[in-house]
Amino acid sequence: MNLDRYLPGVMAGDADAFAKWMIEAEGPLRRSLAPLAAKVDAEAVLQEALLRVWQVAPRFTPDGRDNGLLRLAVRIARNLAISELRRTHGRAAEADELERRLEQVAVAPRSPPDPHLRRLIEDCRQKLPDQPRRALAARLEAEGSLSDARLAEDLGMKKNTFLQNFGRARKLLKACLQGLGVNVEEELA
Amino acid sequence: MTERQGDERARDALIEETAGAYRPDRRGQVGSLAAWHDLDEAGRIEAFRRAGENCRLEAATHPDRRSSTVAAVLNRIAGRR
Repeated sequence: MNLDRYLPGVMAGDADAFAKWMIEAEGPLRRSLAPLAAKVDAEAVLQEALLRVWQVAPRFTPDGRDNGLLRLAVRIARNLAISELRRTHGRAAEADELERRLEQVAVAPRSPPDPHLRRLIEDCRQKLPDQPRRALAARLEAEGSLSDARLAEDLGMKKNTFLQNFGRARKLLKACLQGLGVNVEEELA
Repeated sequence: MTERQGDERARDALIEETAGAYRPDRRGQVGSLAAWHDLDEAGRIEAFRRAGENCRLEAATHPDRRSSTVAAVLNRIAGRR
């Protein structure tokens, strides 16, 4: 699967084309940061890397091999992570070792979730108890743009209660999906 | 609830918060989350695992298959224009 099919739009500054590219690039890019998950905030690195890809994409020159933009994104994310590690830890040997481990992570695009899964998740969401269902809906609607403290406040919950309800919602959803025959470990890994 | 159970719940809340896509702005860049800094290494790795699950669940439920991470980046792009 070659994500460079979105390149013309991305290079032309089409945010919708970039969204389509990100939908398929997010998973492999996130997994490429796994060796550093204990040392840097991978979510922050991932989002900053995606923003920088968007900024440099108009000047990107394909090398003729598949997934050129994804390979660039992986390099940007790794460089950001290693810079952050050196800034916060300052131990060069540890950063060098992690850099070596990062180089060994294979990166390949993955298909987005099956549309059929969406219907099953919707069925399972309807069965959630009230508080977990509200917490899950709030997180989904916020789309990462509001803090959990703010979401909890809007729902009249304490932050930790909100987070417990969200965690409960995810566990119940997984159990429900499993009951419907979904291989949860494979679908959500 | 015992003190230990309370500690475990507080730690799990930090993991859940870190597994979310919200990140603050810090000097014009995407900043790390305070909750991430408050976690031990095992907690950070668990948060990373849950973040991957959240991403697939969010993408599966979104009409355009966008996870919260993708949506957050698009919002930042719109804001930086």
